[in-house]
Amino acid sequence: MFALPLDLLLIFTGLSPLVGLIAARLNRSSISGAYSVAALAASAVSVYEVYLEASAGAFTSAVAVGAFASYMRVDMLAVGMSAVFLLLAVAAAVYSVSYMANESGSPIYYCLLLSMVSGMVGVVFSGDLFTLFVFWEMMCISSYVLVAFSRGSGDSIEAAFKYLVMSGAGSATILLGTSLVYGMSGTLSFEGLALAFGRSQPSLWLYVASMILLVGFGVKAAIVPLHTWLPDAHSAAPSPISALLSGVVIEAGIYALCRLCFTAFLPVQSQWLSVVAVLSVVTMLVGNIMPLLQGDVKRLLAYSSIGHVGYMLAGLSIGTELALTGTFMHIFNHALMKGVAFLCVGAMIYRIGTRQLSDMYGIARRMPVTATALSISLFALIGMPPLNGFMSELTIVTAAFQSDLAWLGISVIVNSVLSAAYYLRVVGAMFRPAESAAVEGAREAPWVMLVPICALVSMIIIFGLWPDPLMNLMRQSAACLTTLLSQGGV
Amino acid sequence: MDAPYLLAFVFALWAVGIYCLATKRNMLRMIFGLEIMINAANLSFISLAAGVPGFVDPLAHSIVVVSIGLSAAMSAVAITLVVFAYRHYGTLDVRELRRLRG
Repeated sequence: MFALPLDLLLIFTGLSPLVGLIAARLNRSSISGAYSVAALAASAVSVYEVYLEASAGAFTSAVAVGAFASYMRVDMLAVGMSAVFLLLAVAAAVYSVSYMANESGSPIYYCLLLSMVSGMVGVVFSGDLFTLFVFWEMMCISSYVLVAFSRGSGDSIEAAFKYLVMSGAGSATILLGTSLVYGMSGTLSFEGLALAFGRSQPSLWLYVASMILLVGFGVKAAIVPLHTWLPDAHSAAPSPISALLSGVVIEAGIYALCRLCFTAFLPVQSQWLSVVAVLSVVTMLVGNIMPLLQGDVKRLLAYSSIGHVGYMLAGLSIGTELALTGTFMHIFNHALMKGVAFLCVGAMIYRIGTRQLSDMYGIARRMPVTATALSISLFALIGMPPLNGFMSELTIVTAAFQSDLAWLGISVIVNSVLSAAYYLRVVGAMFRPAESAAVEGAREAPWVMLVPICALVSMIIIFGLWPDPLMNLMRQSAACLTTLLSQGGV
Repeated sequence: MDAPYLLAFVFALWAVGIYCLATKRNMLRMIFGLEIMINAANLSFISLAAGVPGFVDPLAHSIVVVSIGLSAAMSAVAITLVVFAYRHYGTLDVRELRRLRG
């Protein structure tokens, strides 16, 4: 029907309520946990199948339902992004088996988790703007409920409502922008848009539509004036969901902007990209200054996601193939780094029951493996040389200097130095002498939580030392984005 | 009918939705604001579908039908959250919930 990984995910998602019902009857929530891990892993394996097909050349498939045909476009970019999403989703699902074991209603949690991930994979596989919007809403609506999932705490309901209102307004804005693009070109498929706008002159309506779509996707991607929902939502959600929201959901917004920039926005591209460049610097600055004021570790990590979105936007705003390679590499690396960071912090919260940094002094003595993994991921987030964050930031900075945008490159460097201040504060706090009784009594995290953490940490180190395969994949992704115009038959 | 007039109306409706989100303090009214914004976008699709005289593109209409379904799903989730918030705080006033700062 659609592409293979997406089909598998949708079928598994459809069956997950049944499995959840059986799990609830038998009173063993681990059944639905194991089911969702298996579903995500099967779909992740099938991405390789699609990779083999896509590396021979992008292909499209159409699903016709009545008057409306929904196009799927499977190219290297879609394969690369879906691999990132599914990798982190498998890790988060394995982690959830232990994290959610004592929560009531966990079968519903896994059902929503699966539908959020299938929405994300659908976003990257969709070949027209409206199919993208449908999967986008599937992702958004499941994530609203997941943010509110911690029972009994008012914080999460408030955060989810704030998130819903802002993100819902963003979705309505996306739909308005889509309708304007449709009104100008009469089509919504990306190839058709590249064909329609590739050689056309800039028009006033196109400026309006590109700004409206930037605002709409910018809400979800947490570009700075529109970021206020993010720290609340990401810190109120259960930790595996925070990892997914920070690691991959906001990157879906960046993906959509990248895709649109090289199809519908072609006539106004240079002006649009200069707006994005300014926004990226503001985003970086806010995302790296606000965490300095936070005492709550999850809020601190959530703000730092905004800073990293700034780096990705900087890569997009340079707009060359090398810069886009850097952006996509950073999406992958940020998913790994922020995934590990949130999962480790989640394990600590699971053991000591507080999110305040001042209550975590000395936790490294009681939870050495978790604390070491968290330190490695924080060093990678700063951009320390042997780890993966360095490689992608270096790529973005190099591309900035090559395209005479030195101020952008310098601001990325200054911001990663600035970010060291708060990341090192967390590392320092963990290795201090213990002060509270909760920390004294803490034990190492359960092994089910440690397995995904250690797997992701080893990938952080491997892709830092040996980034070539990742770089090749992401270079192919960037190339298929910039050459869509010529493939469209112009 | 002329598309520019319809589009002016669409943007006015969208602005009403944004105004509603920005100024109203009642959670249910905020959801109404969201619905107004989504309906502005739907209306925009419908008004742009008749670009060529004597021909109406069915694509836009099928898009709008799907989008109405999506917005219904979103409001269902939103109203569920409002019910939970009401049970927890006993009020629909957003200002009472503003303990979190962005």
